[in-house]
Amino acid sequence: MKIAISAEGPDPEATVSHRLGTSPYLIIVDSETMSFEAIPSEAGASGQHAGMHLVSLAIAKEVDAVLTGYCSPIAENYLSAKGIRVVTDVTGTVSDAAERYIHSESQSLGMTASSPPTSKALLRKDTLSGSLKKSGSQFKGFLPILIGVVLLIGLLSTFVSKDVLSFIFTGDAPLDTLLGACFGSIFTGNPINSYVIGGEMLGYGISLFAVTALMISWVTVGIAQLPAEIMAFGSRFALIRNITSFVLSIIIAFITVIILNLLGVRL
Amino acid sequence: MIFPGSVLIIYFVLFLLAQDRAMFALKASYGVFLRILAPLAFVFILMFLMNLFIKPPQIAGLIGKESGVSGVLFSIGAGIVSTGPIFAWYPLLEELKKRGARESLIAIFLNNRAVKPVLIPVMVSYFGWVYVALLTALTILGSLACGSIISIAQRK
Repeated sequence: MKIAISAEGPDPEATVSHRLGTSPYLIIVDSETMSFEAIPSEAGASGQHAGMHLVSLAIAKEVDAVLTGYCSPIAENYLSAKGIRVVTDVTGTVSDAAERYIHSESQSLGMTASSPPTSKALLRKDTLSGSLKKSGSQFKGFLPILIGVVLLIGLLSTFVSKDVLSFIFTGDAPLDTLLGACFGSIFTGNPINSYVIGGEMLGYGISLFAVTALMISWVTVGIAQLPAEIMAFGSRFALIRNITSFVLSIIIAFITVIILNLLGVRL
Repeated sequence: MIFPGSVLIIYFVLFLLAQDRAMFALKASYGVFLRILAPLAFVFILMFLMNLFIKPPQIAGLIGKESGVSGVLFSIGAGIVSTGPIFAWYPLLEELKKRGARESLIAIFLNNRAVKPVLIPVMVSYFGWVYVALLTALTILGSLACGSIISIAQRK
């Protein structure tokens, strides 16, 4: 079941807003996964049409119910026509409102007939299965790439000799570190892939400087997602952050290895 | 799916052309896979616990909520516990920026995504605890340096 709640802020602890039409956010709660999605409204920008924007959003998100303080009769008619239940006079925080609604719904369906669980217990059960599902889908999300990386490492270990690797990574610490940072900046994705690649590179005798720089820049520098970052935060921010992170990945790599050497730690 | 699919095609072609070398490559991959299998199981458990207790809007709500040291600490924490691809966070962060969140805090959040407690078992299996602890500390410090540079650039 999906519930849309008009909210004053983007997080579940925000209070339910008094009017659907002027609400700054619409938070969609999925009772199965207990996931929250905050969608900013266009209330500030488009004034009178903001209410209809939120109504369209609720319909587009295929919610089962809308919880709010007040909903205009026109908006209510639109929502009801789509089979969406409108609940008004809702107060408190978004998470409390969602919890109360899920509880009342489960009671009306007779789910609590034999041994009535508390609303918190109901939520907990939902949350457990939701978290399990989410973890499963996250795991499934990165597993194909990780398997690809593992298979590719097998290929490289078969066809790329140590001579080739030592031709690229010459053992010159500054140059190797720079190369590692460059590779890390080009490639992207889950950091777990960089750990596996880095760990295997270490096994081939490539310096820890290069491996460390690769693993840091893998996440902190993103050439592939630079256009998206520029669009979201502006070119000035994106360029300064990426260039700084690139330089920092090299500095951190040096500091890490130097400290490890001082501590006498050998990998 | 393009990347793993391409690797599988290479293996298929290799099996047709040089079966012994393909088998050698598969055995090498199997060795790597065995090495990361146990840490991966830990990763799943940690992911589950993280998803159980922390929700994305709560994380985003931490950034820009407070100023000063607490704001920085919140951003570090939010970056560390955030999951999923980075571009999925852009719309939420963009909205926070419009609502007044400091750019330096957004940079701190983005850079702390390199610290992933749920993936630590895999990293430790390759590099050991000392290295992981040291790199984690330095990555967090590095994110603060990046945030400071962004902050200085913003003032100019």
